[in-house]
Amino acid sequence: MAHTLASTRLFNLPASFRFTCVNLARTFSVLNRPPPHYAGHVPLNVFERGAVAAGSAIMSLLNPRRGDLIAALGETTATPYFIYRLRDVMLSSPTGRRILRDRPRITSQTMSVTKLRAMAENTVGRAYVDWLDREGVSPDTRDSVKYIDDEECAYVMQRYRESHDFYHALTGLPVFVEGEVALKAFEFANTLLPMTGLSIFAVTRMKPAERSRFWRTYLPWALSNGLKSKEVINVYWEEQLERDIDDLRAELGLERPPDLRERRKAMKEQRKAAKEKREKMGGLMAD
Amino acid sequence: MVFGNAPRALRPYICSSCAKSLKLRSRKFATAASPDIYDVACVGGGPAGLSLLTALRSSKATSHLRLALIESQDLDRVRKWNLPPDQYSNRASSLTPSSQAFLSQIGAWPHIDTSRVQPYHHMRVWDGLSSTARITFDSPTPEPAIAHMIENQNLTRALLARLDSLEPISLLDKTSVREIHLGPPPSPLTPEPTYLNLSSYPHVTLSSNQTIAARLLIGADGPNSAVRTFAGIETRGYDYNRDGVVATLKLPSSFAHHPSSPRGVTAYQRFLPSGPIALLALPGPYASLVWTTTPSQSALLKTLSPEDFTAMVNAAFRLSAVDLNYMFTLPSNQLSEFQWRDSVHPSTASEAKGEIPHLISSVQQGSIASFPLRLRHASSYTTSRIALIGDAAHTIHPLAGQGLNMGLSDSKALAEAIEYAVCHGADIGDEMGCLDRYKGEVWWGNQRLLGAVDKLHWLYSVGSGPVVGVRKWGLRAVDVMGDLGVKGWLMRQAGGL
Repeated sequence: MAHTLASTRLFNLPASFRFTCVNLARTFSVLNRPPPHYAGHVPLNVFERGAVAAGSAIMSLLNPRRGDLIAALGETTATPYFIYRLRDVMLSSPTGRRILRDRPRITSQTMSVTKLRAMAENTVGRAYVDWLDREGVSPDTRDSVKYIDDEECAYVMQRYRESHDFYHALTGLPVFVEGEVALKAFEFANTLLPMTGLSIFAVTRMKPAERSRFWRTYLPWALSNGLKSKEVINVYWEEQLERDIDDLRAELGLERPPDLRERRKAMKEQRKAAKEKREKMGGLMAD
Repeated sequence: MVFGNAPRALRPYICSSCAKSLKLRSRKFATAASPDIYDVACVGGGPAGLSLLTALRSSKATSHLRLALIESQDLDRVRKWNLPPDQYSNRASSLTPSSQAFLSQIGAWPHIDTSRVQPYHHMRVWDGLSSTARITFDSPTPEPAIAHMIENQNLTRALLARLDSLEPISLLDKTSVREIHLGPPPSPLTPEPTYLNLSSYPHVTLSSNQTIAARLLIGADGPNSAVRTFAGIETRGYDYNRDGVVATLKLPSSFAHHPSSPRGVTAYQRFLPSGPIALLALPGPYASLVWTTTPSQSALLKTLSPEDFTAMVNAAFRLSAVDLNYMFTLPSNQLSEFQWRDSVHPSTASEAKGEIPHLISSVQQGSIASFPLRLRHASSYTTSRIALIGDAAHTIHPLAGQGLNMGLSDSKALAEAIEYAVCHGADIGDEMGCLDRYKGEVWWGNQRLLGAVDKLHWLYSVGSGPVVGVRKWGLRAVDVMGDLGVKGWLMRQAGGL
């Protein structure tokens, strides 16, 4: 709303001053924003987009829990090229085209959690709902896209965002930083969205043990699987819910990474056991 | 010869008057055995061949020459060609102002049915991969137009009508060439001073068993020229592995290229990675399509229903290369894909600005056809007593619409060279006296044009990478430099003015 106010104010200025501003007012500026291309669209010019990208990148690195900032970073770095490329990937596949035609949305209304819970073990829907329950999240935790100018590309971004939880379910990677970064690396290799690549900088926030696990195990897994598997953006999740998840993984050419929660648990227990042993032995005699 | 010599040996025994009559008879016989000799015999009655003969007949200096045309088709079919005003032939060409001037000069233009000819004054050319890279050509004044769209049959009919109105020539139609050979070597046993040494004259044996000899034999017999083969002239070039798909299209009846203002008529060409697609206006709500694409895509286009074909043409001017490639994988139902994609990215705004053609509404039944595209250039156009013109000498990619115009410019140059030779008493079949003049006039120009068009084809068949970016900036730069005369120069080059 700030921009409408500003432009009204401009037109309240004396005419002589206004005419000197004509050139300024004609071009895209804070004072003269083009109309939105779709509901919720916020048109940004190049400088604004750069500022939003830089700001959200720094702030989300300081606080990785700020999903809204990560979303803003994703949208402002997706153009030029990347989101169009992803849209073209969808347009080249029959299923991707169907998704773009139907434009399904994943919300708690369209994805009934209770219905999913009733599904057979090892189906895609059941794995998804199990993952939601385990991580304590809901399908409604996704923001709407607002900074992407092309209306169809905005939907592609939205679809990527809403499918993100299915990628978690598909790979079994958890939501905390370590699992999230591994999944983002996979998504980067698979979708080429710059935000997913930039998210890998979050390794700087990891503990040394996590970091070495990431470099040694999860990054190689993410890159090789992301590149060799089919484009996950072209999966029509709504139609795959009843399907056996291993079957879908095989179709996509995706291997499951080692279970991160299990590994962390094992490491923790190992550390705990070592600590207990150390205490029992009396400090210095530990090893 | 045996009969010719016999009376001489028997002379003492025959009275002189009888000997005379015998001699006369033997002379007659000798004349009948020798072939019919023409000054110029032209194999092939297409636009190039017909325009050459018409040019020779209509020029004062060459109108007395003995001319023959050998054509395998029935020329009456050409004369009687007539389509109703709501039908157009799918073979139409863009006639440049210089070709038009040549046709006027030889008196053929008045015989053209101008109600079936459409001049255009604007051109919009753009890159299918970067829609912002486009170039516009506008002829500065209503006259002359950039070019005229004309059906090839309308042109050949007019040329033939003009030829029929002149001193008759030998029209050997429904006749094909069976064999071409040189005349017999001169024999030392022929003391007669009237004996003609035809050893350097090409002799054409026809399917009617008739043999004609020519002082100058013209090969206007197309890409697989028999005359060129006889002359042993090599051609260089290769096949593009592309088909040219042609069709006659109909726009909504309400829309008719703005007949009230001919200034509004525009030719459109979009460069897709598989090749360019061009829509050229015909009179009324009609247009001619030339779509260069891969053989597999052209095969698919020919199997589509008229609705889906129409949708593909509309898509080719509007949708992205990604969408088009996908639509080429579908066996049918392209119409629904097009409608959906056009609703997501409406093209109405650029259509209103005239950047892209109006939506076509249908395709004329039975007008979809295709032909393989080749680049060929004869290493020479002439040898002794032989000259090649038109497609026999060169075949070119249709993206610049220059094939027919090159053929006509060959005819013009050759007719001028023959005229010069006749005026200066030289042998018209002699390379130094006549033919070198023709070759020198056109060969290098054609070579340049063939090369430039070939390079454009390769430049625009690149689908991705830095080349796309460079050509985008290049096209924009040329467009911006229009004010500096660059576009005017390009138009003059293309129009041959």
